[in-house]
Order: sequence, then structure tokens, then C-alpha cells
Amino acid sequence: MDVELSEILDTLCEYAPFADLKDEAILQEMVKDIDVQYLRAGEWAIAPEARNETLFFIRSGAIEAKNKNGKLLRRMHEGDVFGSSSLLRGGRSSHTMRALEDSLLYRIPSRWFIQFYSEFDSFSDFFELSREIRLKAAMDSQSSDLSLMTCPVQSLLRRPPITAEHDVDIKTAANIMSNERVSSLLITENNMLVGILTDRDLRNRVVAKGLPLDVRVDMIMTQDPITVDAGDFASEAVLKMMATNIHHLPVTKNDRPVGVISTGDLVQRESHGSVYVISDIYKQEDVEGLVQISQKMDHTFTQLVNADANTQMIGNAMSHIGVAFVKRLLQLGERELGPAPIPYCFLALGSQAREEQTIATDQDNAMILHDSYDKALHGDYFRELSEFVCKNLDRCGYPLCTGDIMAMNPRWRIRLSDWKAQFAEWIEKPKAEALLHVSIFFDLRGIYGDRMLAKQLNSHIRTLAMNNKGFLSALARNANQRTPPLGFFRQFVLDGEGKQSRTFNLKSRGIAPICDLVRVHALALGSTKLNTFERLEDIEEAGIMPDGRARDLILALEMIGMVRIKNQTVQIENDEQPNNQVDPETLSAFEKRHLRDAFNIVSRQQEFLKYRYPGKGS
Amino acid sequence: MTPNNLPENWQESFAELAQEVTSPALKRFYEAGVAGLDAPLKDAPLVALDIETTGLDPSSDDIISIGLVEFNLQTIPLRSARYWLAKPHGPLTAESVAIHEITHSEIQDAPRLSSFLDEVLDAIAGKIVVIHCAAIERPFLYEAAMKHYGEPLLFPMLDTMALEAGIIHKPWWQRFGRQPSLRLDSCRQRYNLPRYRAHQALIDALSCAELLQAQVAHHLEDTRITSTMSC
Repeated sequence: MDVELSEILDTLCEYAPFADLKDEAILQEMVKDIDVQYLRAGEWAIAPEARNETLFFIRSGAIEAKNKNGKLLRRMHEGDVFGSSSLLRGGRSSHTMRALEDSLLYRIPSRWFIQFYSEFDSFSDFFELSREIRLKAAMDSQSSDLSLMTCPVQSLLRRPPITAEHDVDIKTAANIMSNERVSSLLITENNMLVGILTDRDLRNRVVAKGLPLDVRVDMIMTQDPITVDAGDFASEAVLKMMATNIHHLPVTKNDRPVGVISTGDLVQRESHGSVYVISDIYKQEDVEGLVQISQKMDHTFTQLVNADANTQMIGNAMSHIGVAFVKRLLQLGERELGPAPIPYCFLALGSQAREEQTIATDQDNAMILHDSYDKALHGDYFRELSEFVCKNLDRCGYPLCTGDIMAMNPRWRIRLSDWKAQFAEWIEKPKAEALLHVSIFFDLRGIYGDRMLAKQLNSHIRTLAMNNKGFLSALARNANQRTPPLGFFRQFVLDGEGKQSRTFNLKSRGIAPICDLVRVHALALGSTKLNTFERLEDIEEAGIMPDGRARDLILALEMIGMVRIKNQTVQIENDEQPNNQVDPETLSAFEKRHLRDAFNIVSRQQEFLKYRYPGKGS
Repeated sequence: MTPNNLPENWQESFAELAQEVTSPALKRFYEAGVAGLDAPLKDAPLVALDIETTGLDPSSDDIISIGLVEFNLQTIPLRSARYWLAKPHGPLTAESVAIHEITHSEIQDAPRLSSFLDEVLDAIAGKIVVIHCAAIERPFLYEAAMKHYGEPLLFPMLDTMALEAGIIHKPWWQRFGRQPSLRLDSCRQRYNLPRYRAHQALIDALSCAELLQAQVAHHLEDTRITSTMSC
């Protein structure tokens, strides 16, 4: 470079993330594009409500970051950078930045930030990883970088590609996709790749446009898609996907499709961030350590969401983390109280059992004791153990269950034979009112101890429930108790009874109704699955619902779940307690339209439920 | 008009010089005028400039580098930065090399100042030139123009050193001990500006621009008419 600006270049290169780019000629080009700005103490670098178009590097002085409510988030000094998160969100800034001392700032135009972010892994990693795990990643980077750089795309492929000829109709294509459980379909002509069709295309180009299903698939596919060669390095595929913002990348060999890699595959690698958390949880030797980890859960959650994971992945990761807390607490409890005197199994119930947990969930759990349980001998042990677990879960951010459905409640800490009798009563003499409060027990997973106990109980439930008309109809009636909102307008939500409200609850009005109705079908056909998405796959296979309806529900659940999760991350950013309430005013037109479609799907399926499991009084 | 005899009214003398000079570059320069002098400082187009020389005597020593960067009171866009090296007529002395760290080998292939002086003039034309210590720069630039064009180069300067002297000025009965230094680096430290390697013409020009931003932010009305601060 021309020697003249080396002073500035050298200073930048003393600090991450620029230090790793030291030898890149492009960094020298960037330096020429910097704007220098002096701020007096008290002046804004990013004022409230202002848009931000630059990445800031603090050359001298100090800057204070605050959130919308004026809460101090962090202080930054010479060598720190800020502004990245608003650049990643297209300039919208949720934080303000103000000079705490007289400061000299180097402002780097956003286009350089975007370019470096997509070109250099070390650069994007710097902004994605939190301070806490940055160090850890630096330690691990050598091996993982190496693998991503040197492994060919071919090695990431898990199965042969799912393809369809270009002249099949949309319905056939969609059926192939659901039968094969893929979110993208490669379209071929004479075995050569000519296009790609994704879930998103079906949503945007077919459903949203109201296109008839007998239209040929090559009318709606993406033609001549961007591809990657099977022999290319995986890192190249990553760059291509990031640069073009596509989620499915066909892999070809001599122009013939050999597979597809999706952002999901890569995110799964990414979201192994949650694996760090889990391994950290198991390393803790006391409850205090667990409490400390739990304080970072908001961050882990946000990270998963920002990594573009879908709701199923997020639910899966959050549930595994939740289970890890329970397991570690049980291990610590057993260490304190001694090994269990008889076999037992600790049960996760509800969303944790279905592996659909998000961030704001209270605990729902129970315990099966071996039939050799003798209250006089073993009662104290299991009372203390379950209290230890439940009370400490509360400290770890999983609040006590308001309905008292917890292992520390002696009613839900009983012998296997008592559980079986309890379920027999619920199923064989169903009372809708009584069932209303216990539907959560029908999503039950053994997570610690002797899992055979949970397995036996689950198969007992399946046998009793399958084809039990009275029970299924009572359960169906319950499932229809909570209805989705009929419509929402700019400032209020309208529900079935014509009542208006300011906000609505996405969990109780959207997600829970889907889970409830899917559970009824799953129990009816004796499915062993617990996860709602997986149950829907079983239901579709069994043909209980009319063609395509199960897939509709999957999309509806994903849509509602995504809005909920995004809403929660915004709440976290704004330093609010994440919950399930959504104000329609904060939704985009796009979100409203799709939510309305999703709620319509739920409504129709609730109607179908009545028809499918009729009973007296319904 | 010479560096020791500056005009009262810059606007008028620019108009006169535009008529008088014959070299095209100088003519362009004077024709561009100094409209910014009558504008408030916040609206004036500014350019910070610095030169390095082989010594301190404008009549015998040469300019060996020039750096400049355009700016305003909000930002200093580095994409406007320019830097030139010039091959001097005489040899480099050890003392000067020690200051600016430009060595003989670096400049033996550099062009002569005459080959790019036009470019420098075009870059500063129509703008208010900001300098730290006008007493050095002004006679050197004047001499350079006399040598290469045979015609005078004189223009108003906003001197951050003079501004700083005014800012820290105290009546004699309030002065104790040593006077604060007015060197560029010392001035910058009073405003919490970072320490740059001194005596590289472009970095010094940038330093000077940052210093003016800081001085205005702290002590000067940005609505003051530019001519009241310049010399």
C-alpha cells in the first residue's frame, strides 16, 4: 500500500477482528474509505432512533452503549468496535451509543463490513460469538477451520438427492417432498439439473398466489439454480450461500445432481454452540455454577435464532439444554443424598418432552418410582431429591409450575403401577373437565434414571388410548377449547366471540391448539412420537387427515413458532422478560398475512377434529 | 505581497491575483476564490495540509513531501487524502532524516515538486487551508511557487497552533512556570486525541484536522465566520 495511511492500518491491525485480516490487500483499500470523527463527551455516536450506516472503531476515548430503556449495556474503549448489530439488521439500531469521554472514532462504511462479514470467517465469527465463548472458539478454531477448509462438499452429503422430472405437477412434487421429508426438490430434465423447488417456493409462489396444483413444476421452480461442485471445499459452499442468501445449494458432478446442502446442515454445525452449553452444564460441581450458566441462556437462545435455525432446531436445542440442567441437578442431588435406594425415572412433561421448549417456560415434570417403593423406607429420600431438583431448577430460570405439576408434588411422584392406574382412570372414564388439566401428562419422556419405567408407562398409555372413542372425543373437545384469533387489525385482536383485545398470546392461541389437536390424532393412531412435527409426519403417513393437511399444519406451526421466537428475541434485546404476548402493531404486513393463514389452518383443523372424534355434547 | 506582508482583504487580492498571474494552475487557484472565509466555520469547506522539508530555511531548503485531507467539522473522509513525495535539489541532511524518517533511497526515484505542484493547487483550490504552524508552511509554499511558476502563492490559513494559543492564553499575571507546549502532539493530548507518529505529512495533516474538530467542539463557536479565525 501507499505508505501514507499505514498509521491507521497498523492501529486497526492491533485489534480483533482486523488483526486476522492483516495480510489482506483489501483491508488497505478499506482504510482509505474510513471517515474520522471527533466526539466530545456527551455527544452521540448513534443517537436514539437514528439509523446507523457505519461500523465504528474507537481510536481513543470511551463509548457507552445503552438499550432503549436507558439501561447501561456496556462500556467500550480504545480498540473496541461497535455498530455491527444494527448493520446486520439493515441499519436499525436498538441501542444508543454515546461518548463517555472525548473520543476519536474511525467510521467504516457498512459495505466494507458486509463484504468482510461474508468473505472472512474470522471476521464474522468475531461478531457472532459472544465475549464469553470467543476465547473458547479461538482455541477450537484450528481444528474446525481446518476441517471446513479441507473437507469436500461431498463429505457433507447425507443422502442421494430427491429429484423430480420437470414436467410433473406441483401436487406430485409436493408429495415427493413430504414423503421424502425434504424441504427442497431438485428438478431434472434428462438427468440434468434444470431447477430447484423449496418449501419457501411452495409457500410464496403457490399457496400465497393461489395457484392451482396441476400447474407444471417447471413453471414455479427456480431455474438454473446456483450450484456447487461435489469436489469443492465446503467453505466455498458456505460463502456462496451467504453471498447469495439462499438456503439450499444443489451439489452437482458433471452437471448431474448428487445432493443438496442446506443452511440447516451448516446451522446444525453452528448451533453446536448449544453443545458447549450442555458440556459446560455437566462440568459444574455445584448449583451455583449451574445458576451462573443459566444467566446466559438468553444469549444462547438469541444466538440460535440469529443463526437462522428453524423452530424445530431451536426447540430441540433448548430442550436438550433444559434436560441437561435436570440431569446435572439429579446427579448433584444423588451425590448429596446418596444413590437412589430403588430404581426411579425422572419425567419431562409437556414442551420439554416434545422437545419444543423455548426461552420462557416453567418446569413440568414428574417421577416414576419402582413398584418396590416403600414410603416408610424411601419416602424421605425421593421427597428430598425431587425438592432439590425442582427448587434449584427454579433458581436456574425454570420457574416452579403454577399448576403444581412437578416431581416435588407427592401426587406426581408415585409408583409405576399407580401411574398406570391413574392413566387408566383418565382414559377409561374420561371427564373432559378433569382431562383439561392433565393433557400435559400425555407428552411424557423419561430423561433420567431407569427409562424402562417411562417406556412401560408410555406403551400402557398407547394401548389404552388407541381407538378409545370416548377418551379421544373428550380430548378432542378439550383441544378445541383454545381457539386462534380470527383476525387482527392494526391495533387489536378479534377472537371467535367477537371480543377485542390489545395483544394476543401466541402460545395459548396458536401453538398450544396445534399441539393439542396433533396429540389427539397421535394418540388415536398409537404413534410413539412426542415431537409435534414428528407426530405430524406419522399422522400424514397414516392418512388420518385429508391429503396435504398435515403438511399445512407443519407450516402453520413453523410460522407461528417463528413469530413467537422472533418476538422473544426482541424482548430480550429490549431487556424485557420474554413471554408469549404479541402486539399486532409490531408485526410486519408479511407476518400478519402469514399468521392469518396459519390461524385459518388451525381453525379448520379444529373443525375437522370435532368431525373425526365425535362424542356426546360436542 | 509576501509572506511577511499579507493582504487585508483576501477576497479582493484573490480577484486581483487571478487577473495578474499567467501560469494556468495559479490562475485556476485564484479564480476559485475563498468564499468559505465569509461563511460560518461549520459550512466552510476545509482542507488540512502539512509539508515536510529538508530544513528550516525556505530559501535554501526544499519541500520533500506534502500531505492533505479534506474535511468539515463532522467528518474527515480519508478517501480525500492525498500524499506526494518530492525529490529535493540538495542532499538530505542527517538531522532532517532523523525528523521525518524519509531516506535518500525513498526519494531518489520520486518526481520533482514541479511535476505535481499543479495537482496540489487544484486539490486545495476554493477551500480553507488548515495548518498547524502557518509560519513554516506559508513561506515554503511561497518559495516553491516562485521557483516553479515565478509567481506568488499566498492564501489565507487557519492555523490550529494560533487557535490553541488563543484558547490557552492567560494574562501574564496568571501565568505560572512553564508555558504549555503548542506542538501538534501536545495540543492533541489536551483533547484526548490519540498519539500518532509525527512528521509524516499526511498523518500530520490528519492530526491537524482532528485537532481543529476537537478545538471547535470544546472552545469555539462553529457559527463564527471563518475569516475571523484565519490569518
